[in-house]
Amino acid sequence: MSIESFAQTLVFGLFVGSIYGIAAMGLALVFGVLKMLNIAHGELLMLGGYATFWAFRTFGMDPFVSLAISIPLLFAVGLILDRTIYHRIVRLLGEEKIKNSLLVSFGLTLVIQNLAIWLFTADERTVQVSYAGVGFNLLGVALPYTRLLSLVIALTATLALSYFLHRTYPGKAILGTAEDFEAAELAGINIHRVYMLTFALGASLASIAGTLVTVIYGISPSIGIIWTLKALIVIVLAGTGSILGAFPAGILLGVVEAVSGAFIGPTYREVIGLVIFVLVLILRPQGLFTRK
Amino acid sequence: MTRFLDIHGINASYGDAQALRDVSINVNEGEIVALIGPNGAGKTTLMRVIAGLHPPLSGTVKLGDTALHPLAAYQIVEEGVILVPEGRRLFGGLSVLDNLELGAYAPRARKSRFTMLKHVFELFPMLAERQHQHANTLSGGQQQMLAIGRALMGLPKLLMLDEPSLGLAPLIVENIFEIVKRMNDEGVTIFLVEQNARRALELANRAYILEQGRIAGKGTGKELLHNNDVREAYLGYAPATG
Amino acid sequence: MAQQPYKQVMTRQQIFAASLRRWLIPLGVVLLILFAVIYPQLIDKQNIWNLFFLICLHTTLSQSWNILAGFAGQTSLGHAAFFGIGAFVTRTLWLDGTPFALAFLAGGMATVAFAMLIGAPTFRLRGAYFAIGTLGVAEVLRITVSQNVPFISSMPGPMMAAYDLAPRYYLALGLAIVTTGAAYLLLRSPWSLGILAVREDEGAAQSMGVHVLGHKLLALAFSSFFAGLAGGLFAFQQISYYPAAPFSPLWTFDALLIAFIGGLGTLAGPVIGAIFFILVRQQLAVTLVEIHQVVFGIFFIAIVLVFPGGLVEAAMRLRRIRWPKRPS
Repeated sequence: MSIESFAQTLVFGLFVGSIYGIAAMGLALVFGVLKMLNIAHGELLMLGGYATFWAFRTFGMDPFVSLAISIPLLFAVGLILDRTIYHRIVRLLGEEKIKNSLLVSFGLTLVIQNLAIWLFTADERTVQVSYAGVGFNLLGVALPYTRLLSLVIALTATLALSYFLHRTYPGKAILGTAEDFEAAELAGINIHRVYMLTFALGASLASIAGTLVTVIYGISPSIGIIWTLKALIVIVLAGTGSILGAFPAGILLGVVEAVSGAFIGPTYREVIGLVIFVLVLILRPQGLFTRK
Repeated sequence: MTRFLDIHGINASYGDAQALRDVSINVNEGEIVALIGPNGAGKTTLMRVIAGLHPPLSGTVKLGDTALHPLAAYQIVEEGVILVPEGRRLFGGLSVLDNLELGAYAPRARKSRFTMLKHVFELFPMLAERQHQHANTLSGGQQQMLAIGRALMGLPKLLMLDEPSLGLAPLIVENIFEIVKRMNDEGVTIFLVEQNARRALELANRAYILEQGRIAGKGTGKELLHNNDVREAYLGYAPATG
Repeated sequence: MAQQPYKQVMTRQQIFAASLRRWLIPLGVVLLILFAVIYPQLIDKQNIWNLFFLICLHTTLSQSWNILAGFAGQTSLGHAAFFGIGAFVTRTLWLDGTPFALAFLAGGMATVAFAMLIGAPTFRLRGAYFAIGTLGVAEVLRITVSQNVPFISSMPGPMMAAYDLAPRYYLALGLAIVTTGAAYLLLRSPWSLGILAVREDEGAAQSMGVHVLGHKLLALAFSSFFAGLAGGLFAFQQISYYPAAPFSPLWTFDALLIAFIGGLGTLAGPVIGAIFFILVRQQLAVTLVEIHQVVFGIFFIAIVLVFPGGLVEAAMRLRRIRWPKRPS
């Protein structure tokens, strides 16, 4: 394999990985703060993608511009879902909480996925922008504009989230609640609002990922569970306590997949991620990016 | 004296066992009231019930005319009743400064948080020195100061402390009790749970004894310090002869 | 304070009612089985055979999941792996010429072998990690199969010509009965206390001397065996399907849904849940076509939130409203 094609593989791994990262961060946020696994996360991602598709089809809106619509939309959806469903589960404890959150989010998966089939049919849809397939060449490596823009957006979102969590008052309240929710209550933090805000944020991040996925791959109602699984793999790689660590973990996964796909063969690209996932779970459950 | 904190007929469970039986306590404004008793008596459970972390089976908790027992923990903080919990419970991954700031998250305390921060740094200069360090890098004594500081940021009318001296060196314990006294002088009512019965009784105006979930005795600090049963059980004295 | 001793004095009617109640459940079960045997034969309509078959298949799949999740408390999301392996082994052997009975049993045994292999390392995971870990394992299998055996598996001509749904249904019914019976026997076995203790509190069970891993593996063995047989049943009944299809997580979710709707951790739960699930789903599919899954999903969420104990709990609560508890 030539240096150039290896570099190309790495770069494409980076592009894909950045989407994995942003897709996983929303789920990591919800899991880290609410301590619940939202299996329906991929469906929220799908909804964000469909919002982009709909804006493109109806108004000819550029998908990256449509983020201005899909993000607030999914933020609202997240608020509603928390208010109606998840806030009843977050107060449960232990095994009951895990079980109920899995069940409820699975029910939600059924609902959202079939809603999407009803509204948009089960066909795969794509968003073809005018500059698709165009890009520039850097030292023999092709850099398509769509992928570059995705990377930029994913990076920006990650930096924005980091700033929000570490440098703003509500962000710090979220981090505190994630660490010790009783201590947070004793400090006067309204943890119900924290949970609601966090869930809505998670949904917004999912919607960003959805938009990027739609632009690069296309969208159909069945992608939800695929992306939920991807997000789960990334979270396990990063370590479930780590929220921002999901981004580098995602990139790592993307690169590993791309490289193994190039060397072993494309059929095993999917499996390699899962195998690593299971191995990490069993051998190093605290993940690769946590300090423990 | 106005009835400030009024706890009446509290029954509470801990898991399947009954941890508190018909507990009634009152704290008057401006007082220091201590709660002593053996391990497992239910002292921490009582604190958690008052702070809103644990629902009582029956009974009431009132601050003046306001009923606290139906409120959520963060609402109780807004009313001015703030607990420094057992074991500190800091946000270890956040900085000292962040921990303090979050103590003022409740709406009532939020506006004055920058002034309060200065005040807390005056009270605890070593917190000011370490304000950007992560809270879990502090020593035990420093963490306790931070926990108290965080509680102060919430502008407490009634400050509750659960075992503030636990695991700390005697010198640090003295320091802490000094600070508690100083806050009381500044007008904060104190309700204190302590293993160190002697120091607690010396500091307190009044005290209660909790044994096996029930109030087994009460009186002024001095009375209890000189009470023979108390001296035997909690102050390490040999049984009196004759 | 001394408690007044309560003197139990039962009238003749109460004694009669009590013994009647004791026989009620076994009688009900017998009647249900008789109904299941006779009714489809009587009506002899293709869609009835099919409906009853689906109910029995889902009862088995759900009951087998219930053994692991409801009794032993291990909420696995990888149940489809067992279903898939059983189907795969049975289909491969059977279409290759092995007599079906052997292929069927081989499917079950292969599944147990696989389960025992991955059981110990997987059980090191707890809670949410266990759930997603099992999901991961199942997905690895599904993708591997779908990549390596992508072609559809169809029954050869003569087999298709001789196809009869009736014996397939009775096998399904038999399997559902045996699975529930096995679950019942497991609950009455000397290991049942250990298994339930593991569910309630692993740490406490360990300190009481219960061999936690051993009991988990036992529950896993039962669970995987019957799920594998259910897979074999699927392979027997389906005329053509993609080999990766029975590995789909949707099968796990169906089992979960049913166990839950009926009542997790109860014997009757999977049975009631399967009947309810299949009937309601068919009915909704007919009347609401496009959004029936949506309605089903909403209904399911409502149950999880309001009646976490499923229909069994709902029924018990209703009974308490109509016949308030009498001191006994």
